[in-house]
Amino acid sequence: MFRYALSRVAVAAGQCFAVLVAVFALTSLLPGDTADVLIGEQGTEEQAALVRARLGLDQPVVSRFGSWLHAVLQGDFGRSLVTGLPVTHEVTARLGTTALLAGCALAVVVPLALLLGVASGLREGSWIDRALNGATVLLHAVPEFVLGLLLVAWLSLGLGLLPATAAGTTGAQLPGTPQVLVLPVGVLVSRQLCDLARQVRIGVAERKDGPMASHLRLLGLDEHRIVVRHVVPNALAPAVQQLARCVDGLLGGAVVVESLFAVSGLGTGFVEAVQNRDLPAVQCYALVFALTAVAVNLLADLAVHRLVPVREGRA
Amino acid sequence: MTTSVRRRRCRGAPRRRRPWAGAASAGAVLLPAFPVLVALAGPLLPLSAAPGGAPSAPPGPGHLLGTDVLGRDVLALVSRGGLSVLGMTAATLVLAYAAGVPSGLLAAHGRRWMDETVMRGLDLLLAFPSLLLLMTLAATGHRGAGTLVAAAALVQVPAVARLVRATALAPGCRTAVEALRLQGVPEWRVQCGYVARSVRGPLVTDAGSRFGLVLYLLASANFLGLGLPADSPDWAVVIERNTDALFLQPAAVLIPAGLLMVLCVGANLTADRFLARHEGRSR
Repeated sequence: MFRYALSRVAVAAGQCFAVLVAVFALTSLLPGDTADVLIGEQGTEEQAALVRARLGLDQPVVSRFGSWLHAVLQGDFGRSLVTGLPVTHEVTARLGTTALLAGCALAVVVPLALLLGVASGLREGSWIDRALNGATVLLHAVPEFVLGLLLVAWLSLGLGLLPATAAGTTGAQLPGTPQVLVLPVGVLVSRQLCDLARQVRIGVAERKDGPMASHLRLLGLDEHRIVVRHVVPNALAPAVQQLARCVDGLLGGAVVVESLFAVSGLGTGFVEAVQNRDLPAVQCYALVFALTAVAVNLLADLAVHRLVPVREGRA
Repeated sequence: MTTSVRRRRCRGAPRRRRPWAGAASAGAVLLPAFPVLVALAGPLLPLSAAPGGAPSAPPGPGHLLGTDVLGRDVLALVSRGGLSVLGMTAATLVLAYAAGVPSGLLAAHGRRWMDETVMRGLDLLLAFPSLLLLMTLAATGHRGAGTLVAAAALVQVPAVARLVRATALAPGCRTAVEALRLQGVPEWRVQCGYVARSVRGPLVTDAGSRFGLVLYLLASANFLGLGLPADSPDWAVVIERNTDALFLQPAAVLIPAGLLMVLCVGANLTADRFLARHEGRSR
């Protein structure tokens, strides 16, 4: 386990470095850099050159990357080109909202997927199994913004049940107004739920008739105990991997869902920064999202390795 | 993963045929046909999508489905907006396979270090959530249909290459391939003529499900304003423009949204059926 963990952490460290390089390269090396943004459309080449010299953008690429990396590692992403405030202020202020949204979605999706997956895995071919399969195709295929708009039209516009947007609600007010979160969380959950439940279902269906379960039945253990204590825990390994992909999906989905429902989280911040071409902010948001993805995948791989230990050195 | 499930079913007692099974499979084919028809035949209709009417007017004479926030006829918009949805998805898939298949073959049969470089490099790319790359690119002013298609294709390459590598490993070691090599057939012809042919089946199945994925990614990107210009009649762009007027003129949002939904669901249903049939034949 220890050796695997070490090599996996090394891979993750490599991924982190690659993410840093990629974010820097995408935002600093392509034409359309900070100087172009600052002087705007009317600026001349001389003005751009002046701005570049002032910001140190005329230095060689490697030394620029070095100083950027040095600053970023100390948590300094520079100041926003729009507000002039340090980028990290805005990002940390928005972090809580997105964490709340994603946390709620995970808190709903994990138990629900387990329940549905186990229920349909134990009764293959039953109506619940078929309904789940149908819902998988339906809900997973539809983009979040389409599903969200249809739900808004039905529930808010048609039935008048839930608020259509979270506009006007600041991050700090969100925990006090849970009705605002119902639709965004619902849309996030419905896209991720089916895949996760499907993985649990496959694991349970494979193991409920496997040699171990048969042996336990021969030993006379009651069915309930076999399922809860032996079948389900063994079926979780593929589901954990899927959970990591689910968090990846939640990150992307959060961007769309937040801008659809006007939730002031990381996603809307990222979209605004992209629209304003606020490069320091874009760098910060991109790093937050990408590094979260790397960390989640690392944790999932370690968890899977713990659940299904591969004999080291012999495989 | 689905293989094992299906196999299990075959081993068990024969399932009784449900009366609606035929209707369901017919639906799976007909469902995507409608939006595809709208997308392909729509631009032929003599309708003008130029702004001119009153903004967000309800359906009435002159404008059968009303107008959108810019005063454009919704019916004309809807009939023109599907072509870019389908076209960009198709272009992305073509690009992704054009890059992914050679790198997969190279990884399977090139030198060891080549395999390592391709697969590790692709591992790194997998660490990026797809939308993130598109957004970061758009931040430097690189937006537009071409960039969007190229970037979306790039994100698909790892998965395609991995699939090709996995399926090409075994056929590449067959005696037939050895014989071809001994006869002095150049390596590229062995790869393209023989090995690539055996990869075709899994690739077609993959393309079916990848179509749905790419459709989803491109629609989301266009909704966020990362690709097509804001006055484009593309369904996703029209939805984005009219979201704020949802209560005023629901048709401008719900009709393109409904078409996109039917297209996405239909594409996935068809891919599923394709997968089932392919698995049935290969056994």
